[in-house]
Amino acid sequence: MVYSCYITFPTTYFAIRAESVLKNEDFVFKMVPVPRSISSSCGTALRCQCEEITRIKDALIQNDLELEGFYRLREEGLRTPTVEELDLNE
Amino acid sequence: MNDSIEPCTNEHNLYFDNAATSWPKPETVYRAAEKQMRQVCGNPGRSGHTRTLEADRLVYSAREALARLFNVTDPARIVFALNATDALNIALKGFLAKGDHVLYTAMEHNSVLRPLGGLQREGLITTTMIPCSFKGYPDLDFLENAYRPETSMLVINHASNVTGSIAPLEEMLNSARKRNITVLVDAAQTAGSQNINAAALEIDMIAFTGHKSLLGPTGTGGLYVRPGLDLKPLREGGTGSQSEIDRHPESMPERLEAGTLNNSGLAGLLEGLKFIEETGIETIMNHEHKIRSYLYKKLQEMPALTIYGPDSKEAASSIISFTINNVDSGEIGYILENSYGILCRTGLHCAPLAHKAINTFPAGTIRLSPGYFTTYADIDYLVDALKDITALAAG
Repeated sequence: MVYSCYITFPTTYFAIRAESVLKNEDFVFKMVPVPRSISSSCGTALRCQCEEITRIKDALIQNDLELEGFYRLREEGLRTPTVEELDLNE
Repeated sequence: MNDSIEPCTNEHNLYFDNAATSWPKPETVYRAAEKQMRQVCGNPGRSGHTRTLEADRLVYSAREALARLFNVTDPARIVFALNATDALNIALKGFLAKGDHVLYTAMEHNSVLRPLGGLQREGLITTTMIPCSFKGYPDLDFLENAYRPETSMLVINHASNVTGSIAPLEEMLNSARKRNITVLVDAAQTAGSQNINAAALEIDMIAFTGHKSLLGPTGTGGLYVRPGLDLKPLREGGTGSQSEIDRHPESMPERLEAGTLNNSGLAGLLEGLKFIEETGIETIMNHEHKIRSYLYKKLQEMPALTIYGPDSKEAASSIISFTINNVDSGEIGYILENSYGILCRTGLHCAPLAHKAINTFPAGTIRLSPGYFTTYADIDYLVDALKDITALAAG
């Protein structure tokens, strides 16, 4: 099974700001179009390794970013992935 | 473009109209605007493909650079607009409510006077003008006594586009802050050529244009809005986000931006901002001050001229207005261009009350506005031309 995790944003501004905030940190991530199986206000999402999503979220919150949702997708080739919404709030 | 128009190179023209729009721009500004159109091919916030992200990054970088310019931490508080006039409309119409009283200075441009006049004619607001001295400085004693219980806003023209006089921002902000009054600074003439520390001075809003001292293309500009101050949007529409709901997003900067931005313009503006950062505002200020002082002293040597505004020692933005005894200013402008290739602006400069303050209404003045790229040799040539013209006028 291949899992990947996603963070979504309320507006494009926050997606791009997230990229800018994280670029000097040691995270592996990519800005990607939001997968169709996720509903998001903004068309760009951040994809990362699931082991890192909590640390990335913390880094973004520290920089006053507004985030919308957190998801784990089980990807199975071109078939619709299985989506699990994550509750990362303390 | 009409190919028969000669390029605005120094071989043909000497440019003394930087207060209208700066010229030349750094070479990188021209290139970036063209490159954005030719190569970036994506609309920020729309679609998710890589070229759109590249376009998004350019716009975001321009926001970041402006946040640094005004020394504020959150780039989301910078919203883009067409120009300073547009930004001032967003600020005034998004902030003012029925019954509000607004204070403004006599040096304000029509970009402030007309929206305020319109709101007043609709019966929504009342206003009081702070008179200005012959040199263009607001009367601070008058200000202290002008507040009313319903006063909600003070509009300050940072530097006059007629005289170059710089308003005492700190004193005026302190005066307004004591009374919890929101301050809107019109920085059309100063953003990029004077230090404006929004954080230290606790400025509520700054309207700026991209095509003057920020050295960017026309059609760019914007508004800084301090955190915690929520304006009602003047325009609503597409933002590329939250598309399923018919309510405009509330978070900044999308809150005050709708529709596709001037992306190629902003790519150029970003390069203008980089040029300013690399050169340093202090260097730009010093050069412009020296050039203005040099010009002022040369003009002072000509007895036929009446010069308005700050003298050669006082801090000023790079503008000098003058008249020549009994000669129509427009006529001087015509001769300067057609006999000497010198470009300047004559008349009222969209600031009728400023001309009333300095006693040049309705005839207006001849306005010279050198810029960062103006040289001492340019000024010597201009001064020689003016000596010829005054000799002719004395005829």
